[in-house]
Amino acid sequence: MVVLCVYPPDVAMISPQDPVLRIGSSLTASCSLSPDLGLHASTLFWTLNGLRLSSSSYSVVSSSVLSVTLHRLNGSQQQSGDNLVCHGADGHVLAGSCLYVGMPPEKPVNLTCLSRNTKDLRCRWSVGGLGETHIRTKYILKYKLRWHGKEKECEDYGSGEQRYSCYIPHNIALFTPYEIWVEATNQLGSATSDITTLDILDVVTTDPPANVQVSRVGDLDDQLTVRWSSPPELKDVLFQAKYQIRYRLEDSADWKVVDDVGNLTSCRLAGLQPGTVYFVQVRCNPVGIFGSRKAGIWSNWSHPTAASTPSSERQPSSSCDAKPGEQNSTLRRELKQFFGWIRKHAYGCSGMSIKLYDQWRVWLQKSHKARNQGPCIFWQLDFPF
Amino acid sequence: MLLAVAMATAVDPSHDLASERSSIESTYELTKYLEYQLKEIKDVYLTYLGPPFNEKDFSPPRPNSTALTLPSAATRLELWHGLENQARLAQNQKAYSVLLAAVRELASSTLCPSLKTSLLHFCTGLDGLLGSISALMTTLGYTLPPQSANMRTNAGELKVEGFWILRELQSWLWRSAKDFNRLKRRLRG
Repeated sequence: MVVLCVYPPDVAMISPQDPVLRIGSSLTASCSLSPDLGLHASTLFWTLNGLRLSSSSYSVVSSSVLSVTLHRLNGSQQQSGDNLVCHGADGHVLAGSCLYVGMPPEKPVNLTCLSRNTKDLRCRWSVGGLGETHIRTKYILKYKLRWHGKEKECEDYGSGEQRYSCYIPHNIALFTPYEIWVEATNQLGSATSDITTLDILDVVTTDPPANVQVSRVGDLDDQLTVRWSSPPELKDVLFQAKYQIRYRLEDSADWKVVDDVGNLTSCRLAGLQPGTVYFVQVRCNPVGIFGSRKAGIWSNWSHPTAASTPSSERQPSSSCDAKPGEQNSTLRRELKQFFGWIRKHAYGCSGMSIKLYDQWRVWLQKSHKARNQGPCIFWQLDFPF
Repeated sequence: MLLAVAMATAVDPSHDLASERSSIESTYELTKYLEYQLKEIKDVYLTYLGPPFNEKDFSPPRPNSTALTLPSAATRLELWHGLENQARLAQNQKAYSVLLAAVRELASSTLCPSLKTSLLHFCTGLDGLLGSISALMTTLGYTLPPQSANMRTNAGELKVEGFWILRELQSWLWRSAKDFNRLKRRLRG
């Protein structure tokens, strides 16, 4: 529906009515009086959005026509158009016209899409250029299967914060790439984004893993076990799904991420603080779904699940492969004392610490080669006494 | 719901009009509620139109198109006082019939989505009010005035028309409250 802005024409009339103009352009408008009014054009004045325009920009064309020239127009102040009004000497409104001042759209950019469980496709894009066109601009998302020709339009657009997005709810084909693009149009011009080619399987995301449960490991005060099941929608095809766990202390904002979970559906967290509540979340990546070579897109994190370790002593970092008993608190206490003594008495080993010991343990797990690295290898020390 | 209440009452001369009075009371409440809702929407709408529409003393001339089809709420006191029940209700019915169509037009041409939604929501309230009035007229045995032609006065939407529709609507809601109070008292006797 076209928005017009028309004032009672039998009193006076402004021309042009409802023009659409580019930002920075000029406009000359004229107010024509009906002879019945008995007014002279020189007694009139103009306002734009309620502000009186300087009479130096007026021109008396005839006894019944007064014009005004506006230069370097700014973008429209409101969506309904700028109000250009012609007034009689005492201020009463004689006629009006709506100005729509804006820019043609620029190419939409950053077009990205996401498919949930391979069933649908939700795309979003950003407005190109400086953004604000100031006049009503329509965006249409179009798509077609690359080798099949027929173009379709997305119909379900977001609104408000999500207005540069569109949702395709069904009939999404796998195994053939799609070509997707966005066309932007307004009364001053149009622009089309670059075509994005994508394979649905490369942009699949799933629901988060289901049934996340966190429980204690017997009496061990520094460990918790996390168990979950693969997301229900795709569980029959997610053979190679990857998982990631993150956890944090109840009152901390710092998440620790456990990355090397692989495609197991359980993991033991170690190196935790005893007697502490932890929040745990798990997410899933549908890697290699239906034979796709690429990594998929991580799902949202599952709802946080909380659990607490039994009370006792304290530890630092964690990994899924920690064996119970290796991080025995007595051993660590003694080691710390030992390292403290070494730092004082062993020449050149000021860097010795429990941290280095932990690093060594991690290093041991990762490789059996290149053991001659690091500033101070434990068994190469020469004790001075 | 108000319609159902009104329709359920038999048109019986010996009937004590208690349920009619109750309908009138509900209709009165509805006008107060709509009056309150309108105040908020009007401010948003005038801001959407932009200055000078949202300036305090702004008053553009009333378009002829509006004047022709929409009866003004303004009326001389003695005339208003003397209105027979049927005429009183008929004037209200006609006014809201025109106003409802006009606000719907306003809503459909509004570019701002949230404002459009608010206006459409307001229309359902107006529709309810119109329904109550029509039902009351039917119950009391009054004929409904013929539906006037759709108010499509112009090809597009008119900012000044919009301004006047809302202003007239405000006046009508204010007046209707008094109309219904008067009706209630008259029906008691």
